[in-house]
Amino acid sequence: MPLPAFATDAEGRALAGVCAGIARSLGVDVTLVRLVFALLALAGGAGIVLYLALWAWSSARHPWWPIGLLVLAGALVLGAVGVSDRAVLGIVLVAAGLAFAWRRGGSFRADAPLSYGGIAIAGVGAVLLFGAGGAPARVLAPGAVAGGLLLVGGPWLWRLALERDAERSARIRTEEREDVATRVHDSVLQTLALIQRHAGEPRRVAALARRQERELRGWLYADRPVGDDGSSLVAALSAAAADVEELHGVRVELASAGDAPAENALVLAAREAMTNAAKFAGVEEIDVYAEVTDDEAAVFVRDRGAGFEPEAVPGDRKGIAESIRGRLERAGGSAVVTSSPGGGTEVELRLPR
Amino acid sequence: MKRRVVLVDDHALFLAGVRAELGDAVEVVGEAGTVADAVPLIKELDPDVVLLDVHLPDGSGDAIINAVAPDRPGVKFLALSVSDAAEDVIAVIRAGARGYVTKTIDPDELAAAIERVAQGDAVFSPRLAGFVLDAFRAGERVADDADLNELTPREREVLQLIARGYMYKEIAARLHLSVKTVESHVSSVLRKLQLSTRHELTRWATQHRLV
Repeated sequence: MPLPAFATDAEGRALAGVCAGIARSLGVDVTLVRLVFALLALAGGAGIVLYLALWAWSSARHPWWPIGLLVLAGALVLGAVGVSDRAVLGIVLVAAGLAFAWRRGGSFRADAPLSYGGIAIAGVGAVLLFGAGGAPARVLAPGAVAGGLLLVGGPWLWRLALERDAERSARIRTEEREDVATRVHDSVLQTLALIQRHAGEPRRVAALARRQERELRGWLYADRPVGDDGSSLVAALSAAAADVEELHGVRVELASAGDAPAENALVLAAREAMTNAAKFAGVEEIDVYAEVTDDEAAVFVRDRGAGFEPEAVPGDRKGIAESIRGRLERAGGSAVVTSSPGGGTEVELRLPR
Repeated sequence: MKRRVVLVDDHALFLAGVRAELGDAVEVVGEAGTVADAVPLIKELDPDVVLLDVHLPDGSGDAIINAVAPDRPGVKFLALSVSDAAEDVIAVIRAGARGYVTKTIDPDELAAAIERVAQGDAVFSPRLAGFVLDAFRAGERVADDADLNELTPREREVLQLIARGYMYKEIAARLHLSVKTVESHVSSVLRKLQLSTRHELTRWATQHRLV
């Protein structure tokens, strides 16, 4: 809550206008304010000092004057209600010490060093308070000292802890940056260099870019199918697809539903089918879909390329088809090749589970 | 008549590429790079289709759909994504997008997808089809709304062929259906994907990536 703005009131003044100013800013009757000051003046003259302090506050350029006078007023009030002189002095010293220590943001701010002078003054005050005797002082003093220590030391310790955390996260950030830099240097920059050297060969460039994309994606998103050591069917197909892309400069789109432990025969047959499509279909993209159900694992390799007449294929291609079929049949599965000239080719590979 | 399209993507290079690729196939009437820019722009332009990046600097694509759809129910959204988590893609589709394609889609197919979405049909990439088949796995029973939580055998067949890389007219020829029927099956699957209470949808999506 902001304090009401205070300025002396020159129009309603009796002396300097302090009471009138307070009455105006608080919205109370000026007589009431004057009465309070009169009563305070009876307490060892505290009211007079307070009046002077406020006057000084409203006109002074330097804040130490009113603060000093305020402290004096407080001391006079304490003296008037029967606190011993030594205790009053102790309290004043503690207050002054803390004020010093808290000057300019106190120990919350990193650029405001701890004020040892302030702490020393507060300490002397605390000792005086302890020795002052009298029941109220004995009860109050330890608490006041503990509170003072907390006020001065707490923020300082807090700041130390914050700094340590900041340092640690800065170190982690640096390590991460170095990791990224290494990664970028080892892979991305190498790939860019290769692309520049092979700028005239679009397929090679596309394959390089694709491989780099795959690598980066895997690193950024930990984008690996279940069983990321290549032991799952989808992971193994993904690796095979990457090889085919790289070797033949095509793009392999892999979709899947479900996954299972990889079967060598199925993966190798699928890879063979992808290679065939890449070599003979004359297309840039091959679709591969793997589906694992309770009964079987199936892989479909499809291209929309040249296609062929299954009855009239040249010997070498028949051999390849046979090698796919033979491999899978030995493992207990089946392979069906569907193709028509101009209508693309699809190889269906099925293996019971 | 050319379809009026708004592109929403924060990669300027990609926007320029799509604009060039689409060429004369559609009329690109506006572009935006953030959710904050896109919402008023789409409301003002009232385009046929919004090509929507799943992830934007100040939010995700579903925020745009949720903000625009009540005022402009005629605007269709097609999600376009390069490297987003499946859960984001599913969030955009469940917010009301008519489909999802990857940014590597070739220009002709993208133009076809825009046309298809503008007509109110759905567009699935092979990966999304695989995802739906996985999430709506046969045999797993779901207590309520059996209709919405199960795929019919026909829908399953259509999705499998999409996953295998078949285009709608190839699917139609293979299953002896009309292209219109294939489209209605896919739209029905989209509706189930948007409304289903199957918990596999979210669980699966958090474990996988669609691209």
